[in-house]
Amino acid sequence: MHAPRLHWKRGRQEEGPGVHRTLEWIGRNDAGEAIARVVRILGPVWSGWRTYRAVALDDEAKVVELRPSRPDGADWLACVGGQVVGRAPVPLQAVRAAEAALGGD
Amino acid sequence: MPGTPLEKIRNIGITAHIDAGKTTTTERILYYTGMSHRIGEVHDGNTTTDYMEQERERGITITSAAVTCEWHDHRINIIDTPGHIDFNIEVNRSLRVLDGAVFIIEGVAGVQPQSETNWRLADRYNVPRIIFINKLDRTGADFFRAFATLKEKLDIVALPLQLPIGIEDKFVGVVDLVEMKAIVWEGGELGAKYHDEPIPADLAEQAKEYRQLLLDTALSVDDAAMEEYFDKGDVEVATLKRCIKAGTISGAFRPVLCGTAFKNKGVQPLLDAVIDYLPSPVDVPGIAVAAEEGEDEHVERRRIKADPSAPFAGLAFKIINDKYGTLTFVRIYSGTLKSGDMVMNTTKGHRERIGRMFQMHADKRAEIKEVYAGDIAAFVGLKDTTTGDTLASQQDQVVLERMAFPVPVIDISVEPRTKEAVEKMSLALQKLAAEDPSLRLRTDPETSQTILSGMGELHLEIIIDRLKREYGVEANIGAPQVAYRETITRPHTETYTHKKQTGGSGQYAEVKITFEPLGRNEGVVFDNKVVGGAVPKEYIPAVEKGIAQQAETGVLAGFPTVDFKYSLIDGKYHDVDSSALAFEIAAKSCFRDGMKKASPIILEPVMDVEITTPSDHVGDVVGDLNRRRGMIQNQESSGSTVIVRAHVPLKEMFGYISDLRSMTKGRASFTMQFHHYDPVPRNIADEIMAKSA
Repeated sequence: MHAPRLHWKRGRQEEGPGVHRTLEWIGRNDAGEAIARVVRILGPVWSGWRTYRAVALDDEAKVVELRPSRPDGADWLACVGGQVVGRAPVPLQAVRAAEAALGGD
Repeated sequence: MPGTPLEKIRNIGITAHIDAGKTTTTERILYYTGMSHRIGEVHDGNTTTDYMEQERERGITITSAAVTCEWHDHRINIIDTPGHIDFNIEVNRSLRVLDGAVFIIEGVAGVQPQSETNWRLADRYNVPRIIFINKLDRTGADFFRAFATLKEKLDIVALPLQLPIGIEDKFVGVVDLVEMKAIVWEGGELGAKYHDEPIPADLAEQAKEYRQLLLDTALSVDDAAMEEYFDKGDVEVATLKRCIKAGTISGAFRPVLCGTAFKNKGVQPLLDAVIDYLPSPVDVPGIAVAAEEGEDEHVERRRIKADPSAPFAGLAFKIINDKYGTLTFVRIYSGTLKSGDMVMNTTKGHRERIGRMFQMHADKRAEIKEVYAGDIAAFVGLKDTTTGDTLASQQDQVVLERMAFPVPVIDISVEPRTKEAVEKMSLALQKLAAEDPSLRLRTDPETSQTILSGMGELHLEIIIDRLKREYGVEANIGAPQVAYRETITRPHTETYTHKKQTGGSGQYAEVKITFEPLGRNEGVVFDNKVVGGAVPKEYIPAVEKGIAQQAETGVLAGFPTVDFKYSLIDGKYHDVDSSALAFEIAAKSCFRDGMKKASPIILEPVMDVEITTPSDHVGDVVGDLNRRRGMIQNQESSGSTVIVRAHVPLKEMFGYISDLRSMTKGRASFTMQFHHYDPVPRNIADEIMAKSA
C-alpha cells in the first residue's frame, strides 16, 4: 500500500443545492507548508459569453482555462509549485503523481 | 409494520446475455440461502425460476420469475430475467421496478450483445449494478480479457473487488481485495463449504496492485474516507465497503466479482456483495412522479420515497393469467396495503379493490395479508389494471412514471384451424397481449386477418405455442402481406354512360369525371362541379358511393387507391330510367376506365429504420441497407456504437432481424416505424401485378 508522505487535507469545496464536492486537496509538509495541490478539473463552464471546455482553480482560487481541452480520462491535476506535474482520473492517483514529482517513491 | 426493516431489503434483478448463467446462478442462490434443498439445472429442465413448459423444453428463460430468499438477516427479492432479445420486455419491466441488478458476464466471451442492450436499459432507469464474471471454469475463460470488454463495450469504470485463483479447471476460489484474503471452495456439498486463507504468494503482488486500484477509485467518492486514508495509509474494511456502496449507487464505478456458478464457486461472496453494495429501498432517491401534460420531461419532479407510513403508491409491472385468474405484480414504493383495501388506479382514473395478495416464489405463491413499501407482491382480483399503471391511495393520487415498451418489429397473420375456435382464439390472444406489452394485436381491415406483432420470430413462435398449450387453440400462421396502395400521376377526364334496356324500365346514367393526383396522405377529395342540374342532386351521393367502393380495389393490383381528387363536371339523366343505382354503377365504371388512363402507380410503405451497431459492422449494415433499397438518412457515433438511420421499404425488412444478427454476430439491434408511402419501382410493381392477376 502506498503511504502518503505529505499531510493531505481538503481544500476548497463546491457547495450548492444538491452539490457538495471537494475541488482541491492540499499537501503540506511536516512544517505545515503547502507543497502540492491536487485540483479537480471542471467544465464545460459557461461564463456568460463563451463556454470553457475545461477549467481548474489555481492556488489563488482563480479560474484557469485548460488548453487545448480536458485531458482524456483525467479529472484531476497534480500541481507542485504552480506547475502541473501529472493528470489522473481519481485524486489518489494524482496525489501519488504529485509526491512522485517531489522526488518520493 | 413490516417484518423486515426496509434497510434490510434488496430488490434485485439478475440479467445477462442468453446462456451466461443467470438461471444457474439463481439456482445456487436459492440453494445456499436454504430456499431449496437441491440445485436444479437448466439442462435438466428442473430449475425453480424456469417453470413454464416451454422454458424447460428449450432450456431458456422466457418470462421473468420472482423469488425471495434470506441471507445474513436480509431479505433478497430476486427477479431472474430472460436473456434472449425477443423477450426483452421482461428485462425492461423488471429493471424498471428493481433497486439494483447483478449483470452476469460470460468468462469466455466477455460482454455479449444482449448484455450491452440490457446495460443501456439499466442506464435508462439508473439501476445500480454489480458485475459477476461467470464460467471461469470453462476452457478459454480469461477473467482479465472478459474484464477488458467491460470498458471496451460498455465504456464504464469497472472496479474489480476480486481476482480469480486459478482458471479453467484449476479455478478454486477468489482473492477478496476488500479484506485482502483468499476464499477457497473445498469441493463437495455443492459448494456450500468454503474457507478463508492467506492470499497465495504468486498472487500477492497482483493483489496489492489491484487493491491500490480499488482504494484509488472507491475512496474518491467519499472525502472523509480519503482523509482516513491520508492519516493511516489504509482504511477500515467498513469504510471501504461504505465507499464501494456509495460509488455503486451513484454509478461512479461498477464493482466486479467472479466465479463459476455451475461449479458452485463464487456465489456466496456475490450474495454478500448484494447485501453490502446494492441499495435497499431507502438508499435510492425514490421513484419520480410522471410529468404532467405539457410539463418539461427534464424538470426535476417530486419523488416518492420508501416509507411504510406514507400514503400508498405502487406500480403494476407484470400481469400473468393462469388457471386461477389474473395475477398483477406490483412494486410497492410507499405506504402499507391490506387485503380488501380500496386504491385508485390513477393512470386510468378508477377505483380498484385489493383482493388476495401473494408473495410469489416462481410459480408458487404464499398468501400475505399486508404489503409494505419496498415489497414486490402479486394481487388477485384487479379489474382493469394493466402493465405500467399506478395504484395509489385516495389521499395522494400520484401517477408514477410510466414504463417504456419496445416497438414490435415482426408481424404474422394468424387464423384458427377451425371456425369454432375463432372466438376462443380472439379471447386467448387478448389475454396474451394483456400480459405482454411487446405483443400487439390487430385486424387487417383489407384482408380481415388477425395480425400479431412481436419482437421476433421466437417471441411469436412461443405465443403460438402458448395459444395451443394453454388455451387449446390450434392456429395456422402465415407471412403477412405488405399493405400496398395505388394512386395516379396525371389528370384525366373520363365520360361513361351506363345504359341498359332489358324490357320494363331501363337503367340510364352518364357521368363525366376529372381525376387528378394529390400529394401523399391527402386522401380522396370529391368536388361537385355540376351546373344546371345535369346530374340531379339526389344522385350525387350515389356517384360518391360508387367511387368510394371502387377505390377500395385499385385498377392495377387491387390495392386501395389513395391521394386523388375527382370532380364530377357533367352528366346526363333520364326522367324514367335513371336511378341512384344507375349512377353508382356509372361512377364505378368511370373510375375503372378513367384511372387506367391517369398513369396509375403502386405505392409501398417505407419504414423509418434505426439500427444500433458496433462501429466495426457499420460497413456491412450500410451495404445491406443499400441492397434493400434503403436510403441512408444519417449516421451518428456514440463511443464504439454507431446509430444508422435509413428509410427502407417494408417489403425489404421481412426477416431483417435474422440477417442483421448474423451479419453483426448478434451485436446490433434495430427499431422501425412507418414513415411514408413511396412509388414502387417498375420491376417490383410488375411482380406485384403478376401476383395479383
